[in-house]
Amino acid sequence: MIGANLLGSSFGGVLAQIEQTPFVRPHIDWHAVAPELVLLAGGALVTVVDVIGLEKVRRIIPSLTSLVFLAAFVPVLTLWNQQGDLPRVMWDGAYVVDNYSLVLKGLFLLSGYVIVLLSTNYMLEGDYYDSEYYQLISASVLGMLVMTSARDLVSIFVAIELVSIPAYLMAAWRKRDLKSNEAGLKYMLMGVFASALLLYGMSLLYGMAASTKLTDIAAALSIGESKPIFTLAIVFTVVGFGFKVSAVPFHTWAPDTYEGAPTPLTAFLAVASKAAGFVALLNVVIIGFPGQADVVEPLMWVLAAATMTVGNLIAIRQTNIVRMLAYSGVAQAGYMLAPLAVFGDRPGQATSAVVTYLVIYAAMNLGAFAVVIIAARKTGSGEISSYGGLFNYAPGLTVAMTLFLFSLAGIPPVGGWYAKFEIFRVLTDGGSGAGVSLAIIAAVNSVFAAFYYLAILKQMWFMPAPDGDHSRISIPPSLQAALGVTVFVTIVTGSVLIGPLSDITKLADLALP
Amino acid sequence: MGGHPFLADGVDFGDVLLSLVMVVAAFVICLVATMLMVWFERKVVSRLQNRIGPNVAGPFGLLQTLADGIKLFFKEDIIPTRSDRFVFQLAPYLSLVPAFLTFTLVPIAGDFSGGNGSSTVFGREFYWQVADVPVGILFFLAMSSLGIYGIMLAGWSSGSKYPLLASVRASAQAISYEAALGLSLASVLLVAGTLSTHDIVLGQAGSLQTLNVVATGFVPFVVFLIAGTAELNRPPFDLVEAEQELVGGFHTEYSSIRFALFFLAEFMNTVTMGAIIVTLFFGGPAPLFDFPFIDFPHAWWMGFILFFAKLLVFLFIFVWFRASLPRLRYDQLMDLGWKLLIPLSLGWLLILGGIRVARDGNIGIVDDSIGDTIIVLVLGGMVLAVGASLIMLANRNARSERLRNEGLVAVANPDLGTSRAADHATTGPPGASHDTAQVGADH
Amino acid sequence: MTSLGILAAEMTNTEVWVTNSFFLAIAAVSILAALKMVTTDNVVHAALYLLIVLAAVAAVYVILGAEFAAATQILVYIGAIMVLLLFGVMLTRAQIGSETDLDHDQKWIGALISVVLAAVMGYSLWEAFSDAKLPDNRVPQGTEAVADSIFGIYIVPFEAISVLLLAALIGAVVVARRD
Repeated sequence: MIGANLLGSSFGGVLAQIEQTPFVRPHIDWHAVAPELVLLAGGALVTVVDVIGLEKVRRIIPSLTSLVFLAAFVPVLTLWNQQGDLPRVMWDGAYVVDNYSLVLKGLFLLSGYVIVLLSTNYMLEGDYYDSEYYQLISASVLGMLVMTSARDLVSIFVAIELVSIPAYLMAAWRKRDLKSNEAGLKYMLMGVFASALLLYGMSLLYGMAASTKLTDIAAALSIGESKPIFTLAIVFTVVGFGFKVSAVPFHTWAPDTYEGAPTPLTAFLAVASKAAGFVALLNVVIIGFPGQADVVEPLMWVLAAATMTVGNLIAIRQTNIVRMLAYSGVAQAGYMLAPLAVFGDRPGQATSAVVTYLVIYAAMNLGAFAVVIIAARKTGSGEISSYGGLFNYAPGLTVAMTLFLFSLAGIPPVGGWYAKFEIFRVLTDGGSGAGVSLAIIAAVNSVFAAFYYLAILKQMWFMPAPDGDHSRISIPPSLQAALGVTVFVTIVTGSVLIGPLSDITKLADLALP
Repeated sequence: MGGHPFLADGVDFGDVLLSLVMVVAAFVICLVATMLMVWFERKVVSRLQNRIGPNVAGPFGLLQTLADGIKLFFKEDIIPTRSDRFVFQLAPYLSLVPAFLTFTLVPIAGDFSGGNGSSTVFGREFYWQVADVPVGILFFLAMSSLGIYGIMLAGWSSGSKYPLLASVRASAQAISYEAALGLSLASVLLVAGTLSTHDIVLGQAGSLQTLNVVATGFVPFVVFLIAGTAELNRPPFDLVEAEQELVGGFHTEYSSIRFALFFLAEFMNTVTMGAIIVTLFFGGPAPLFDFPFIDFPHAWWMGFILFFAKLLVFLFIFVWFRASLPRLRYDQLMDLGWKLLIPLSLGWLLILGGIRVARDGNIGIVDDSIGDTIIVLVLGGMVLAVGASLIMLANRNARSERLRNEGLVAVANPDLGTSRAADHATTGPPGASHDTAQVGADH
Repeated sequence: MTSLGILAAEMTNTEVWVTNSFFLAIAAVSILAALKMVTTDNVVHAALYLLIVLAAVAAVYVILGAEFAAATQILVYIGAIMVLLLFGVMLTRAQIGSETDLDHDQKWIGALISVVLAAVMGYSLWEAFSDAKLPDNRVPQGTEAVADSIFGIYIVPFEAISVLLLAALIGAVVVARRD
């Protein structure tokens, strides 16, 4: 201070040059960012406990991580309760907490919780670096939480990288297995390539709007006639996200990565990571590109049709259940892309259809992966043929798997049918040719898909066990809990709780500008 | 904001000419200073080792460097066959240029005891430095990270394994210490509020409290001095040219004028680093404090004398380091950088930030900003203590776990001991095998 | 010298001419270096050409008055990333001379795609921005402005990046560790 005074008195002119416009501290709504902060603090806590306790605390790290996820869920509920205050807008509209983001935050936190449950025994028994794995999972989920609220390009990009980069590393977590190394490497190379495309698209968007905020970009894209540069920017951005959600033809990394990665992590990639990609796509397309619907819709139509068709056709030929689930996940991504092909007229409805699908898809797919993990504990195999005779020695597990597969195939009364129904409703409501034709393609594909889902059912219910081993499967408590949660959600979303679910996802309408 | 005043209103031919003159002048000063530095180092090291040092060429041996340079210039320039010719020839220049470019940032003269450090020639007001870049400190960091290319590429292009090892070491070392260097600089930036070297000097002028070494609380200066020495690859951080391990280091294959260029670059870097330390922490050409009784002349050359005196102190310290400290082992080098300097400068930056916010009365725990400062100091000290003890706890646990694991390995692998014994048996003590051979021969 | 003097004041015709010719020279160097980078048959040379491209980008930033971006470009890309890249190359395959296995069969397809992409992107950019002009009296972008926006609307991504780096660090140590 003394120095400044002295300076000021002797040569004020120079001081005036040095002086800046004062920095205005942005308003921070601490309640609104509480889920992120709790997860951040919890992740830091897990890291510190691990660094200090090492081997002694190894067994409590999974429990601690799952508690962190549940603790972060609490502020989501309290925010949901204060509906009057929503949407909470921060940082000049760059960060928004509304119903849409709250539903997804809840989804991501619960998925993270289930993933931890799935991982606990797998990581411990495989003798992998487990504490670090949970730290990376929490970091990745933190990226997803940021993604749900991000409304500007920088936040979206950083969030998608925060989701992906820990995932690249975790895919290579089984270091002693070459397949896992391959999984991590393929995922990373394709991922960074996609990021480069995405960034180029984003830089063009910024160049046109001179702002990173999605609302400003929407405004810049809406004025004047459409220019080639708009199309270029949109194509690059959408292609970048296409890699992240494994849409055809950008899906080539998915099967190898899913097969090589640790199975709980595969569940994470197939559900949470993919959902995060969809959230990013929804944010950018629905908020940023409404003025360019003529460009986006055909692009999405082609992507959706190709994704569901190719995914299903290849899934039929798979003999490994994880690869089959990978391709079925590709096909499911196709259904989720479909509403974006008609988003121009009904952005709110399209959004809530995708969100509904994401919620139900998370439950049924996580459940299927839980069964795969449990079965692999006994059979040690991922081949579909190893599921023979499952009903004889694990009837409960077989029933659960049947539910999940029915749901994935879209057979009532379990969740999946409602998710598909919402998609069809969006596609056909407007009566446009594009929508109806896509709906027909989706319907044909659903029939295809039923083939390979039913093939597994046939193995489980009617075939003999390949090695004649009929000893019972012991299911550890964490996997029981995971199975319980996913079965419950899969059943209720398709039957008794359709009403409340549709209320929640209706609220999730983006309420667009 | 930075920039010479004469550039503020458009650029004409005279401005360009003046700039060129400054560049040439700075280059000459830099070269002469480097030459003298070589002499100074040899002389001081000699005296510290109870020797006499160069005393033949010129008065006090001052021209020794020149003589060495001329000798090297006329030696045969050897380029190894297996080298990458172009890169091999390019590398010495790559290490020379960043050293000089950093020097262009340093204000070497000017009247800072009352004036703003500018002088006027032909109606153009200028500062006594080649360029007052608005992002000066970042420019310095950028140049110091560029300096590594010369060493790296020299080692690689030699086509020989020892230089390659040296260059790999050098890059690891440079990157490790770059972080500590940058973090300690961040404290200076926090206090100075500007990146321009001229403004940083200006802000320090006047009194002892405003000198950055005092205002930042001494720790960043110490970190900067250590990290700077490491960036220079000078002893005790000269693993790049550890003769016992690497023959000559990265320049093993160099000869003649190219070798001289590396030599020159090394000493130019030393001078530049000393000048940067003086500028950032000791007010450059500004007086250390307001002398109470004597009124020094307010002229640009007074600044030059002050700057030179301060610079000399640091050059002496660098030489002193060299004469008295043994070289670090590689793991000690990395431990010092990563486990001590980086956490220390990071923690210090946070505390310094907290103190400054409290001092400006922006926290408001109590009504009084001094009270706030004390509270922040106490809290910061507590956090630092907790953090340090957590790190120590973690280190201790890690060590005991490692020992336990190694113990387990030894137990689980019992033939480790026997294989060693078997080794011993087959090799045997030389005498014993000789005996058996003798016996065999006898039969 | 700093670009400040050129940019702060109204630009005269000479200054526009000087700035443009500097830009053209830098652009030419950068394009040539980029071409050499993909066609050279030595990994270290490729890295050095990439260095030139990155330095040219920094130079363009200086011309535009974005001095903070320029310094950061040099500091981060040239000073850190490329050093690490060369470090990695030297630890693994620091071969001198040409390496034949850097080539592969699909290079002509790759070249074709590059040309098509360059044409499409070039046309689109030309169509959109060919008549755009930089304003006459631009204020150089100061470091304070960058800092203010980082701690303003970009605070969430800024904090998220710290988590990202920590997670990447932990994961990289686990994956790279020998055990």
